[in-house]
Amino acid sequence: MSAMLILIGFSLSVAIIFLIAFLWAVKSGQYKDRYTPSIRMLFDDKKNNDTNSNNHININRSNQ
Amino acid sequence: MPSNTIATTEKAICYHCGLECPTDDIRINDKFFCCNGCKTVYEMLDSNDLCNYYSLEETPGISKLNEVKRNFDFLDDSDLKNKLIDFTDGKVTTITFDIPQMHCSSCVWILENLYKFNKGITFSEVDFLKKTLSVKFIEEKTSLQKIVELLDSLGYLPNFNLDEKKEDKVKEEYKKLYYKIGIAGFSFGNVMLLSFPDYLSFTDKVTMEMQNTFNWISIFLSLPVFLYSASEYYISAFKGLKNKIVNIDVPITLGIFVLFFRSLYEIFVIGSVGYLDSMTALVFLLLTGKIFQNKTYEAMNFERNYKSYFPIAVSIMKEGKETTIPVDKLEVGQRIVVKNNELIPADSILISERANIDYSFVTGESQPVEVINGEMIYAGGKEIGEAIEVETVKEVSQSYLTQLWNSKAFDKKYESKIDTTVNFVSKYFTAIILTIASSAFIYWVSTDLKLAFNAFTAVLIIACPCALALSTPFTLGNTQRIFGRNKFYVKNTTVIEKLSNITSIVFDKTGTITETAKANIQFVGNEISLEEQSMIKTLVRNSSHPLSLRIASLLRLGSKQKLDSYEEVSGQGIQGLINNRIVKIGSHSFTSGTLYKSNNSDTSTKVHISIDDRQLGYYQIKNVYRGGLKKIVDSLKEKYKLFILSGDNAGEKDNLLEFFPDADHLYFNQSPHDKLNFIENLNKKEKILMIGDGLNDAGALVKSDVGISISEDINNFSPACDGILDAKSFKYLKDFIRFSITSKKIIITSFIISFIYNLVGISFAIQGTLSPVISAILMPISSISIVVFTTVSTNMIAKKRGFL
Amino acid sequence: MNIEKFSYDNQIVRLFILATVIWGIVGMTVGVLIAFQIYLPWLNFDLQYTTFGRMRPLHTNAVIFAFVGNAIFAGVYYSLQRLTKARMFSDVLSKINFWGWQLIIVAVAITYTLGITTSKEYAEAEWPIDIMIALVWVAFGVNMIGTLMKRREKHMYVAIWFYIATFVTVAVLHIVNSFELPVSLFKSYSVFAGVQDALVEWWYGHNAVAFFLTTPYLGLMYYYLPKAANRPVYSYRLSILHFWSLIFLYIWAGPHHLLYSALPNWAQSLGTVFSIMLIAPSWGGMLNGLLTLRGAWDRVRDDAVLKFYVVAVTAYGMSTFEGPMLSLKNVNALAHFTDWIPAHVHIGTLGWNGLLTFGMLYWLVPKMWNTKLFSNKLATAHFWIATLGMVVWVVPMYWSGLTQSLMWKEFTPLGVLQYPNFLETVLQIVPMYIIRSIGGSLYLTGAIVMIYNLVKTAKQGSFTANEDTEAPAMEKAGGDNKKSHRWIEKRPIQFAIVSTVVILIGGLVEFIPTWLIKSNIPTIESVKPYTPLELEGRDLYIRESCNSCHSQLVRPFRSETERYGEYSKAGEFVYDHPFLWGSKRTGPDLHRIGGKYSNMWHYLHMQDPRQMSPGSLMPKYSWLIEQQLDTDIISTKINAMRSLGVPYEEGYENEALNDLQLQAQEIADDLLESGIIVEPDREIIALIAYLQRLGTDIKVKQAENE
Repeated sequence: MSAMLILIGFSLSVAIIFLIAFLWAVKSGQYKDRYTPSIRMLFDDKKNNDTNSNNHININRSNQ
Repeated sequence: MPSNTIATTEKAICYHCGLECPTDDIRINDKFFCCNGCKTVYEMLDSNDLCNYYSLEETPGISKLNEVKRNFDFLDDSDLKNKLIDFTDGKVTTITFDIPQMHCSSCVWILENLYKFNKGITFSEVDFLKKTLSVKFIEEKTSLQKIVELLDSLGYLPNFNLDEKKEDKVKEEYKKLYYKIGIAGFSFGNVMLLSFPDYLSFTDKVTMEMQNTFNWISIFLSLPVFLYSASEYYISAFKGLKNKIVNIDVPITLGIFVLFFRSLYEIFVIGSVGYLDSMTALVFLLLTGKIFQNKTYEAMNFERNYKSYFPIAVSIMKEGKETTIPVDKLEVGQRIVVKNNELIPADSILISERANIDYSFVTGESQPVEVINGEMIYAGGKEIGEAIEVETVKEVSQSYLTQLWNSKAFDKKYESKIDTTVNFVSKYFTAIILTIASSAFIYWVSTDLKLAFNAFTAVLIIACPCALALSTPFTLGNTQRIFGRNKFYVKNTTVIEKLSNITSIVFDKTGTITETAKANIQFVGNEISLEEQSMIKTLVRNSSHPLSLRIASLLRLGSKQKLDSYEEVSGQGIQGLINNRIVKIGSHSFTSGTLYKSNNSDTSTKVHISIDDRQLGYYQIKNVYRGGLKKIVDSLKEKYKLFILSGDNAGEKDNLLEFFPDADHLYFNQSPHDKLNFIENLNKKEKILMIGDGLNDAGALVKSDVGISISEDINNFSPACDGILDAKSFKYLKDFIRFSITSKKIIITSFIISFIYNLVGISFAIQGTLSPVISAILMPISSISIVVFTTVSTNMIAKKRGFL
Repeated sequence: MNIEKFSYDNQIVRLFILATVIWGIVGMTVGVLIAFQIYLPWLNFDLQYTTFGRMRPLHTNAVIFAFVGNAIFAGVYYSLQRLTKARMFSDVLSKINFWGWQLIIVAVAITYTLGITTSKEYAEAEWPIDIMIALVWVAFGVNMIGTLMKRREKHMYVAIWFYIATFVTVAVLHIVNSFELPVSLFKSYSVFAGVQDALVEWWYGHNAVAFFLTTPYLGLMYYYLPKAANRPVYSYRLSILHFWSLIFLYIWAGPHHLLYSALPNWAQSLGTVFSIMLIAPSWGGMLNGLLTLRGAWDRVRDDAVLKFYVVAVTAYGMSTFEGPMLSLKNVNALAHFTDWIPAHVHIGTLGWNGLLTFGMLYWLVPKMWNTKLFSNKLATAHFWIATLGMVVWVVPMYWSGLTQSLMWKEFTPLGVLQYPNFLETVLQIVPMYIIRSIGGSLYLTGAIVMIYNLVKTAKQGSFTANEDTEAPAMEKAGGDNKKSHRWIEKRPIQFAIVSTVVILIGGLVEFIPTWLIKSNIPTIESVKPYTPLELEGRDLYIRESCNSCHSQLVRPFRSETERYGEYSKAGEFVYDHPFLWGSKRTGPDLHRIGGKYSNMWHYLHMQDPRQMSPGSLMPKYSWLIEQQLDTDIISTKINAMRSLGVPYEEGYENEALNDLQLQAQEIADDLLESGIIVEPDREIIALIAYLQRLGTDIKVKQAENE
């Protein structure tokens, strides 16, 4: 099954690319903080000064 | 204490911090503030249009009410600075602050927008769980001091302490673990994939042709696992054997090696497929166990030394002007100013007239002592009342208190003496396996060498104690999480095992079984009129004496009376003239009377009252014991020996006897050293759980098998200990201990289960017939079922006992 | 101070939103059209350009690559800029990405209607378009990676990881699946043949679903769901785990599309096992999405956007559970080739992709036009219409799938098929088809309501093409990467690993070509290459996409061997470039059609199917009778086939045309005997030749044996 081997070859290479990506991510401290980013992404760059807007973020403190 | 003030009108809520505003005059158009501090912060944010702060969450601010002006001159001191910062190249500096006040998304947002306030800040990043803020700033443009002042002005005053940071090392360890598990997982998945043809269609000609290629790829894939991912097991096994300990990693290492080399043999010599999938799976599973076990409470620190309690800086008088210097720079003979509730950093002589020093922190003595000019004040004491001036006579490191920390208690490596159940078992386990394996070998060797060899290796493969190794981390890991949910935070999982083995429990008194700063105070005597009460209040409010403060706090009515004269007789009491009546408050003799003479047995603190020399009675101040103490003690006393170590005088003895049966287990006037020695002696015959709170227990906590420190708020400092117990959960103490025992039982049960698996496998193995499929199926199944069993059982029992 | 002022490119996002909406309507309309055509065969108005066969690929491609594709780009271009605090790397690339993609879509639409197709499902585009796709996709990738390079936010939010995975994997899938040998500008033959081609195609097919319809949308979910709910994702840890486990599992699950095919057992079971394993990460993701809303269900009640997300995520959960179930052999035996599969697919597409896209648009448009949504009521209405439409679409299809499958398998007590006539089983489910077409129309209506709502919203707001913002530049030394970045040298072990890995890839690259030449399918010597005429007929079969409705794979079940004949062997397909197994039996299987009916029957049947089988739902193919067969490039085709390993002897390309005409004449004569006068140079002749050849090689052998 030559096709099988080609597929395995490519799949494996893709998997390896991701493995390296994973190692890099750990290495570069991507996962040092596994909570705050989920809050950070909620902040808008737009500065809205109408403070009565009820877009209050309620963060779950169930972590930790 | 619940305040029984009658809320007359709907009070405005501070727009910044959400506190009730005492008045409505501090406001910016429709926004009200509780204090000018909050108002200022609002103005700061407004001027930098950062008011998003308020739209992210309601009233996110930290109240600035009753806040003191702080002085951060000491941060200019380069030595100190270098201790605090993470990294600097002279131009750019990185520093990480602990900021326990951060509590919401607004905090994150504002702290990560610091650069908008201070152009010198190039980067600021929050770790919300750790409650840390790492800031990078340019030295020319700003300074550490400026940044700290900024943070303080926003209400996020950092916690400084000089504990050496070994965090980075831990980080690296974690990363390694993640690398390893990543690689193992990747190889496991792919090797398993490539093993499928062998499992599923042995006859298929097509697959046979490809098998060869697949084997090659599998070997390539499993090499990193064998060489890198599994390495730590080899090391630990080797270390163990060097110390004559056969720990669990020995059979594991054995298993991995046999798996790998047998596979190579199968592939190259026999030309069939090996056990590489089992090998990679094994390593992968083991590592997941490790990950699971390594739960850490990021916001907490279990290895604090006395430095974290000490002020990092002290105020000194320099040419009449007050400034601050780092505490290390403090020299003998220097004059320092200690304000209300500040700690005395080094043994010194009192220069001011009088001082009230609260030593509860150091000795456990709960009543503040009055010190007169020229007397000695010991480090660790806390000034209560107005600021005092003292002159140091010893260096910080030489102080009475810090000697405790130089005691050998702290440099002993007590990790070495952990005898965990699993290591105990693995000793025999390994022996048994080796016996079986070799006997199988001997049995076959006469008939068929190859078969004998197969049988030998097969036994080692199948008996590889994956399940055995996983049961402990998963059980204890779960238990640790369950404890954490119930506000009992243990340093690591071995603590739980130790906790299950204790035989006696030692309590510290003040702050541990009594509630700190909450002594109950009651009036003994005949009825006193409201008018008299207000007179008393008027008088006590003029004194900073701790007792006066307490009485004042008890009398909640206003003190609108006019005080015509006021006199404070040191060590005696206070007296004053209020609308022509002489009010005296103080010792029995001071209030000159014959009534309410105390019998000697009763040593609880009393403050007598007399008006126009007519004795009204006295305020009696007793310690308050934690809720449910009686129940806990009763439940514990059959099973364990209970002891009390108190820094106090025997005043509370009678009260204590209500809880603790035998008087000769109560020890009073215990200095920190006494406590340490007591534990050391007791340790010879008992396994000890020590429960304490303050610095004064630190030695004892370290020396005991399990040292737990009680804390009213877990983000606060606690001394070096194995676990931090939130005061609210004190009443569950018994349940925690019981549960730790249960989880030990669960571990043992799961051992039995995994042994059964091994028996099944070995029955195949000894006949030398072990197909890769069987091992590949049996091994993960056993491991996974163990994981499921431990997880489910711990959680179910926890639910039953109301932990979840 | 290094605070950098820059602006987000909203213009490109707007363009993609526009494209999403327009193509969405187009794709869905075509969908509705074929939903009607399937029971109203005259609905192609006797035009060859609008037959079901050609419209179905148009529909699938339009909704997948045009609607969902543009939605992905819109979502990514918006969120990526904000997550990285950086403008897209290059506006030029953005534009290339946009206009290139639209060009591809138009090209696809035109070529498919003209019958220019490779017949490979979800990859029907011919080679020039394949190349365009590759180029545009790379442009997108470069643009994305470039943006990541100059990002100002150190941490890469989990959504970004899903985007990256999408880019990398789709690139590889597309390239591998497009290994084809051109014979003319609009015609190519797949490099792989038969079983292998099928394997590659479904490895691609499955992963196209995985990495085009799933991972990017998970990324979008992880961005837009928390944003809309204004609360962090339930567990960020879980989302990271979700990503990595999904990535390492998905790649392998392809082969389950070929259960009971001529694929080796182990490869089939492999697909099954990995599909089952996929449930864990998929459901982890679903729960993570839903639990994000815990404690906010009151918000869901009155916020239309959240409603869309809730149902979308639920649909994701359903189809990711159903998928593995379908990969179980016994379930698959029942569901494969029936309407069950479209039902399963549409849960995913209508539910997960459709509703999530709508939710995203409803959130995005007001945000970008700085206003509130024109009407939350209308949005809610849309939500209910769409959900209802989805149900009305899906339920009857499950029903009809099951019904038909059971009818196919039903035997009388005497052991003969209860419904030997395939048509019976079709007519049985026509009511279901009718209901389905209503469901589809509903869903389309909903989409139109959305357009109105969005346009109104945009009108009342003001759009900012470039949204100004500022952020501090990202510092190299954030927390702990103050150490040197050349970390590999510093860590010998990692270096060892990486080098192992490199060697491994090298090794693979080494031996793949050698394997390519020598294929080790058990060959059956009685299986001969197609004659030139048959080859042309086969290309007509491809042009008309007969495989949209007819399979060419008899599975090893008694019910099928009874109905169609000997089950298909791998060896029979060795000269099939490309394979034509098909994936759905709207009509009967054709692998053993050869010799079953007379040439006349085929002729009349093509002229008007209802002449031969009254009530048949197949459209007329009368133009096959009028149109002349184009034989200009027959010799090139022969050469191409030879270079792909089909054993035409050297120089045969010169005799090919001659042989072709001879065989055509024979058929024409045969028809003449049955009283049908037809020129031998008509397309119909070639098609008949091919149909009569289908699956006969083995029969021949049996004949010899007797």
